[in-house]
Amino acid sequence: MIKGYAGRILEVDLANRSFVFKPLDESIARLYIGGKGYGTRLLYDRTPAGIDPLGPDNPLIFATGPLNGSVAPQSNRFAVVCKSPLTGGIGNATCGGSFAFGMKKAGIDLLIVEHRATAPVRIEIDGDRDEVLFHDAAELWGKGTYATQESLGKKQHHAVIGPAGENQVLYAGIVSNERIAGRTGVGAVMGSKLLKAVSVRGSRKLDMEDPEKFKEYTKEVRKLFKNHPVLGESMKRFGTGAIVNTTNARNILPTRNFQRGSFSEAMSISGEYMEDHELRGVKSSCIHCPVTCGRDVDVDGVGRVKGPEYETLALMGSNLEVGNLKKISEWNYLADDLGMDTISLGASLSFAMELHERGVLDAGISFGDPEGVSELIRDIGHRHGIGDELANGTRRMSEKYGGKEFAMHVKGLELSAYDPRGSFAQGVEYATTNRGGCHVQGASMYMESVGPLTINPQNLKLKADIPVVQQNLACAINSMVLCIFTTYGIVPRAIHEMNPNSLRYRALVFAFENMGPLLRTAMGMKGPPMLWFEKWLSYITGSKISGGHLQEIGARIFNLERMYNLREGFTAVDDTLPDRILHEPTFKHMQSGHPLGQLLPKYYKIRGWDEQGVPTPRTLERLQVRT
Amino acid sequence: MPVTLQLTYEMSKALGVPRIELDGPETVADAVRTVASRFGEAGADFAKLTRVTAVAVNGVLVNYRRGMKTRLEEGDVVAFVKAAAGG
Repeated sequence: MIKGYAGRILEVDLANRSFVFKPLDESIARLYIGGKGYGTRLLYDRTPAGIDPLGPDNPLIFATGPLNGSVAPQSNRFAVVCKSPLTGGIGNATCGGSFAFGMKKAGIDLLIVEHRATAPVRIEIDGDRDEVLFHDAAELWGKGTYATQESLGKKQHHAVIGPAGENQVLYAGIVSNERIAGRTGVGAVMGSKLLKAVSVRGSRKLDMEDPEKFKEYTKEVRKLFKNHPVLGESMKRFGTGAIVNTTNARNILPTRNFQRGSFSEAMSISGEYMEDHELRGVKSSCIHCPVTCGRDVDVDGVGRVKGPEYETLALMGSNLEVGNLKKISEWNYLADDLGMDTISLGASLSFAMELHERGVLDAGISFGDPEGVSELIRDIGHRHGIGDELANGTRRMSEKYGGKEFAMHVKGLELSAYDPRGSFAQGVEYATTNRGGCHVQGASMYMESVGPLTINPQNLKLKADIPVVQQNLACAINSMVLCIFTTYGIVPRAIHEMNPNSLRYRALVFAFENMGPLLRTAMGMKGPPMLWFEKWLSYITGSKISGGHLQEIGARIFNLERMYNLREGFTAVDDTLPDRILHEPTFKHMQSGHPLGQLLPKYYKIRGWDEQGVPTPRTLERLQVRT
Repeated sequence: MPVTLQLTYEMSKALGVPRIELDGPETVADAVRTVASRFGEAGADFAKLTRVTAVAVNGVLVNYRRGMKTRLEEGDVVAFVKAAAGG
């Protein structure tokens, strides 16, 4: 067995309370690594097209990768893969916390949960005794994620759902400690199986090809992270909340359901403001991670909890036109405890507010007014009253009430907090990412509107190339399974400290912007491992993995996801953006919105797809994607 | 309608306000000079910061226009931009 893997997959059948360990397939691991990649392969192979995502035939796959179980920074995340009840296509999400570490200590590479229990259940996996215990979960059913984890205790590592998952809110997530696998409704799938919690324990050690080199090198990487301006400084101080002021200045901060790109009260909901006014005590982190990107805040009546990060500050702050950090923190806590994705939640709330503004629906909430929002969030989590409607997300709401033009989703998944009218590559990424309107499976916006070295975000240069490169890399990262923030370490301090008004900076931007095909060639080169995650993978598995290998593996995974979606009936028509983004300008100099139509053909070509967005047989063969 | 200067958090702490409204600056450089002169020593700190901070007018970096000589119109928003990272 390749080192870095436990060598086994655990299959649990909830209907007849049975389990079996099966060997990991090394050939799949070599092609897809683990995590999202291996999980997608399993989902594709084990299910036919057309299954009901909330039915018993939708497997819920928890997947780790060869870096999990080590003490490498940012290395302990797990992926969840299933068919998404929100989009009807590939569903996946990743999560920090400690569950991934626990899975590897239990000696489990992937856990496949199948069918449905007859009553609420939780499972305990003891990897040392190779046993799975099934416990009735009636007493836990209805509890929030915080209380559930507290009840289960600290001797095991847990992945749990809250009431939102139990009630199959279509954007319910799965929680580990204070982190959440939020997107695409993976928590609803867990709830549909009547599975409240998975707990794991074990004492296995991760087997590595070269543990000494890994250990020595990780010490160097920790020093590198400590001295990095993002991973060692700004993330620690501000978390991701510092992005609020940046996106606001670039006119891409979602405001009033994406009607505008800047918010007059942005500063009062920013990470810097939070540091000065609201932070309490120790900042939180995932297990073994020194970055500590989490911020603790005080919530009235609750005490100290994990505070909101950028997406929540934007989608549940500026997007609702609420500049009250205390309120946003309270809503963030509610969403976490109920177990819901704050991005889809925020977008559903703002959609309801716009319906109210237009006289279509009165959900008791309106822009700029925090009144009624807390109650509605609870109602959504419990599917009470009008909350039952919002629990289905913006696509279904717009199908019922109209407003398709301003339902801010792609393929059914609500957009994250970077307005693509000021970030064209990000728009292409939203339109083409297989799980829907997502930003972390690429993060193109970092190179054009948020990061320290940004190209012009509103011309066509590189806007089809960057998403391909970024999506491929993110697929690989989500298969190892590492935190995507690790990629921010690639940009060295020298770039961060460059004067953005200097000739040198402008020359560098010009060179970057005009490198076109060179970018893809450079990223595709297979040489010795250079970056830390390449070296970690190499020291652990023994395979020499470089950036070019990761691009190829990432492309493989991306194309398999694409084939899954095509099998489910998705077409090129679904590679689009909301009408508001395509047609309503938010910049003074623009007559229309995002020029997706001009960029999509080039994107398809770079991907090796035909004009209908279907991977060609030649591409599938080259990438060894078996369908 | 006045021109609005949107400050970075650092700048706003130095000057004591999150944004400033000005009547009639013709260029970005004019706007910076006006603010600097209005705030004395804090204004000098502000001016220093602007030299190493990216600037956007209505969301578009001035590097893609005429730099600090970019002309302003009524109602324009001049925003100082710090890079950031996250999700």
